[in-house]
Amino acid sequence: MAAADQLSKARAPAVSAVTLVRVGLIVGVLAIWELLARSGWLYRDVVPSLIAIAKALVALLSSGDYYFNLGVTAGEVAAALAIGGGCGVVVGIVLGANRFLARAFEIYLYYLGPTPKIIFFPVMIMWFGVGSGSKVALGALSCFFPVALSVAAGMRQIDRVLIRVAKSFRADARQMVTKIYLPAMRHPILNGVRLGLGIALIGTLLAETKLSNKGVGFLIINAYSTFDMPRMYANLIVLFVIAIGANALVGRMVGLHTIRR
Amino acid sequence: MTAATPARRFLAGDLAPAATGLGCVVLFFIVLETLIRTGVISEYIVPPPSEVVASFGRVVMEEHIIRRFFLTIGECLTTGVMITVFGVVGGVLLYHYRILRLAVETWVAALAAAPVVLAYPLFMVIFGRNAWTIIMIGFVAALSPVILKTVEGLAGTRKVLIDVGRSFNLSASQQFFKIMLPAALPTIFTGIRLGLIFALINIVGVEFLINYGGLGQLINDLAERYDLPGTYAAICFVILVSVVFFMTLERIERWLRPTN
Amino acid sequence: MDNPILVADKLGVRFETAEGPVMAVDDVSFSVRQGEFLSIIGPSGCGKSTVFNVIGGLLSQHEGTVRVAGELIDGPHRSIGMVFQEESTFPWRNVTDNVAFPLELTGMPKQNRTERARHFIKMVGLDGFEKRFPGELSGGMRQRVSLARTLASEPKILLMDEPFAALDEQTRLLLGDKVLQIQQQLKQTTLLITHNITEAVQMSDRILVMTYRPGRVKRIVNIDLPRPRTSDIVGSEAFGRYVAQIWADLREEASRGMRDEEDHMLHEAAP
Repeated sequence: MAAADQLSKARAPAVSAVTLVRVGLIVGVLAIWELLARSGWLYRDVVPSLIAIAKALVALLSSGDYYFNLGVTAGEVAAALAIGGGCGVVVGIVLGANRFLARAFEIYLYYLGPTPKIIFFPVMIMWFGVGSGSKVALGALSCFFPVALSVAAGMRQIDRVLIRVAKSFRADARQMVTKIYLPAMRHPILNGVRLGLGIALIGTLLAETKLSNKGVGFLIINAYSTFDMPRMYANLIVLFVIAIGANALVGRMVGLHTIRR
Repeated sequence: MTAATPARRFLAGDLAPAATGLGCVVLFFIVLETLIRTGVISEYIVPPPSEVVASFGRVVMEEHIIRRFFLTIGECLTTGVMITVFGVVGGVLLYHYRILRLAVETWVAALAAAPVVLAYPLFMVIFGRNAWTIIMIGFVAALSPVILKTVEGLAGTRKVLIDVGRSFNLSASQQFFKIMLPAALPTIFTGIRLGLIFALINIVGVEFLINYGGLGQLINDLAERYDLPGTYAAICFVILVSVVFFMTLERIERWLRPTN
Repeated sequence: MDNPILVADKLGVRFETAEGPVMAVDDVSFSVRQGEFLSIIGPSGCGKSTVFNVIGGLLSQHEGTVRVAGELIDGPHRSIGMVFQEESTFPWRNVTDNVAFPLELTGMPKQNRTERARHFIKMVGLDGFEKRFPGELSGGMRQRVSLARTLASEPKILLMDEPFAALDEQTRLLLGDKVLQIQQQLKQTTLLITHNITEAVQMSDRILVMTYRPGRVKRIVNIDLPRPRTSDIVGSEAFGRYVAQIWADLREEASRGMRDEEDHMLHEAAP
């Protein structure tokens, strides 16, 4: 017991040193920012003062208009993830389970995955129109590949032994799926979806910035075209907080699943 | 680890699935061509694959594709040099100063996951609608994996190699330059490879979005001119460039990590 | 012994564990003559690798002293060359550059380095492989490269920690032959840490047998077999007697070790 106390005492100062460094870095950056803002070195408003940004943030978060646009984007991202991610999960399961199909087709996914998808946007507009359809389509296209590859890889990692154990107990096909495959697949699928969420978000939002009159992407490009910099910063800050927060949240859900196993 | 990672040599057993895959792709295009020619799919929405292929020549000739290609590659290489220099130096600093590493490593990892490219309007305000915006977005988006892999490579140096260095009484800087850095090089290159891929994707994407630059801008241009076959052809060309780029990086990495 | 080249005096190493301090090595003293081949043998857990690290200067927290030619060591001594148990060749350098490494550190010009390295590469029987990379060589060949690298620094004392542990029996015997040849040719003082009795008897002038933890000197055996020795000596009667004698000692220590481990596990399992 005394040893454990010793350990935690030894650790305590180390933790606060790290926090000190972090706080120091943040304060330092903010200080330099404010200095630049007030110095007038840079063109007016490229680096607005922190107070202006704070005001814009408040204005943004208290306007119903923002939440409407946020809702539009959220809907599009959800649809993109459902379609692209859904297809990705199905394709991933098939490729992960069947070696022949994997060797036939996975190579195309592997090499087509890391390519810029936003360039397909003109095609999406042609097929789905200038409304939300084309944004959802682009988001779906973006997240399909990484989800499919991630789920396929995860499927292949399912311990072969578990499958043989179930077969040795003469489990039938339905039991194999419900008692072995589905529980084992939870983790790779959730992981794939977490990956897909971030990518669907980027794809959908980029499309919104290119051609749209609604959504968070539209708000950002709108702030740019009216040169309302504090508003642009405010939009970007909220967006990044949501993006990183959503990623962390889903990550935690995936992590909990791993622990419970 | 995908079943399709083409690191292994082509065996006889690979022929059947590869042929199936390729065959299905070819079949798909034949079916597509037929459906368009028979009017089931409107040729004003999806141009027939044969027309797209035909317009390849035109696009290459008339649209200065070589110049555009080099412009995009140039932006990529500039970004590549920047992420290598700042990424490796950053990684070395993080490795050396433990407290800094503990404080900042998670932030660097978060940067990799953050949608940096979405801030492109901001970059446009700061740098203007030109190549620097494109390069800087590529830089910010691609820096993180280089830093992280540099730290990983240095931290993962096998203890026995460090002991060899100590047994020869190497000074701290000799130990670093003669043992740790060479040992970490394969991992560092993996980071650079990942960074370059992020960079290319973001660079072409931003060229498209801000209508400036090389290949990305070409697609935007052709689309605004309603040149349908041309747009498809340009998209195919960009995908091709991207795939070749990716394959080349893989090959280089494999050359750096023999017999592992 | 008059004018020993290496003197270890009352070496002791203490490790902190969850259950309190444990002596890995306790009161170990011995000397090594110039040109002698001394093996240190013992059961797993006897602390022989710890002794290796202390003499090599890699472990500075210890009791007792180590003197090389009268000089107290404090960190890796320039007269001691170490060969490690694990894979230690630099994978990014070819064989020549690996072996020339210590010469590089002394600032020798490249031409001379390459020539000198070739001399040692030949000595370990790897001529023809100068431009190859470790990745292209077998485990045994890589260990030979490590050996050549250490020899290139021309140490007064060669200190080896189970360098052949990862190799199969035949390769081990042949490499043992090679090391013997080299040692006899260079009249190299050698200190070999091993758990392999055959290896120790084949190569050594004396063998130091260690006890199980805490490692102490159980016995020092003089190996009076004629030199030069080769691997055929393994079958001789005298050889067999030495092996049996040392095996008896080791068995005693090894079973003490096993009983100790079992006791340990029982205590841990009990709530």
